[in-house]
Amino acid sequence: MIYWDNAATTWPKPPHVQAAARQALTVLGGNPGRGGHRISMAAAEKVYECREAVAGFFGLDDPSGVVFMPNCTAALNAVIHGLLDDGGRVVISDLEHNAVWRTVNALPGGRARFDIAAWSENEDETVENFRRAIRPDTRLIVCTHASNVFGVTLPIRRLAALAHQCGLLICVDAAQTAGVLPIDMQADDLDYVCVAAHKGLYAPMGMGVLLCRERERVVARIQGGTGSRSMLAAQPTELPDRLESGTPNLPGICGILGGLRFVKEHGRQTVYAHEMSLLSLVYQRLSNTQGVRLYTKKPQLGACAPVLSVNVDGVAPEEAARLLDAHGVAVRAGLHCAPLAHARFGTLPSGTVRLAPSAYSTAREAEIICKLFAQIAQKTLHTKKNML
Amino acid sequence: MANYYIHVGSITNAMRGKKLLEARGMRSFVHRAPNPPDGDGCGYSLLVTADEREATRILRAGGVRVVRVSEGL
Repeated sequence: MIYWDNAATTWPKPPHVQAAARQALTVLGGNPGRGGHRISMAAAEKVYECREAVAGFFGLDDPSGVVFMPNCTAALNAVIHGLLDDGGRVVISDLEHNAVWRTVNALPGGRARFDIAAWSENEDETVENFRRAIRPDTRLIVCTHASNVFGVTLPIRRLAALAHQCGLLICVDAAQTAGVLPIDMQADDLDYVCVAAHKGLYAPMGMGVLLCRERERVVARIQGGTGSRSMLAAQPTELPDRLESGTPNLPGICGILGGLRFVKEHGRQTVYAHEMSLLSLVYQRLSNTQGVRLYTKKPQLGACAPVLSVNVDGVAPEEAARLLDAHGVAVRAGLHCAPLAHARFGTLPSGTVRLAPSAYSTAREAEIICKLFAQIAQKTLHTKKNML
Repeated sequence: MANYYIHVGSITNAMRGKKLLEARGMRSFVHRAPNPPDGDGCGYSLLVTADEREATRILRAGGVRVVRVSEGL
């Protein structure tokens, strides 16, 4: 199996992650932050160790701002609903995943509550588009760090500066970039970052993180037990308890610790450079393959997430993915839950085939994928000729 | 030397407080709070054998909410 669907979730999971999750299931069995017995306290210590490690990795000074969530979508929902349910507007980009687009559409008032700023290859233009989309009652900018379909990035540091200049908050959807591109909440001046821990951090599925540098304003939309201040009818106000009700996913949290260890051991930059070199190879080959269509410029180190969208002329993306799967290659086709991005790049209604390598991907795999695309394109050309 | 429970509410506060005290050379242990204040409910505390006033000052300076301090056995 050649697995190049790592933008959906990375696989295989490193031994570090497997061992950490296994330890949670076999040794640290107690409910963290609930009991006082040894096994519960040992679990709680591990959870706090993970908060510290995550905070350190993303330049967050206080581990209490690390909120564990079931996924990145839940983190984005927490911020968007927690800041906007009682009013105000939000600006989003035209590359957003449905985790953002559907969520802003679900705000009371729906379409009247958000504005869309167009991404441009020119950073200055992108920032200007966001500036123009801000209205007097705008409270928040939510934008993806990198498109989950086309890999192109938004200038988050400049957008944070714009947001703060205008008295707004900024929330970054780092689903495709956490553990891949550098993110420093302090240096980038970000208020919230939403992380899909099961992608670039190699944690088990079912793990996301909300990183809060701004610690007061997100209103909890889910209430419940926190193991603290139990007599109060109201949700505790402090983080992480305010946003972290119910029993946490201990194997997942331990898995994040294992994943961070893996990424640090290999070097975030080294892994990223490896993935980008594979995508460059693929890009170069496919750009010279008749009948194969690419939608972006050649992926540049530092400027893109390791994600590439491709199509074969005359072949539906889902059909191309099925043919690849028949040859043991796992990729994702279709709209990738991001119709806005496909509208921007003109790939509606069928979408694209998405290629996303990981630390475990190899140049040989890249070569095989390119050959298969060439075969599919060749076969399609022949079929067309025969039909004429 | 007396034992003091410094009730800090959440487990995260307790873990964070323990680290703050450690950084200042003070040893502490995280326990469930034995006597949580009326109306507050259960939570976690730091058991210290050192100067509880100094420990409380360090915690508050570090942004850890101290709910109450009580003497332990």
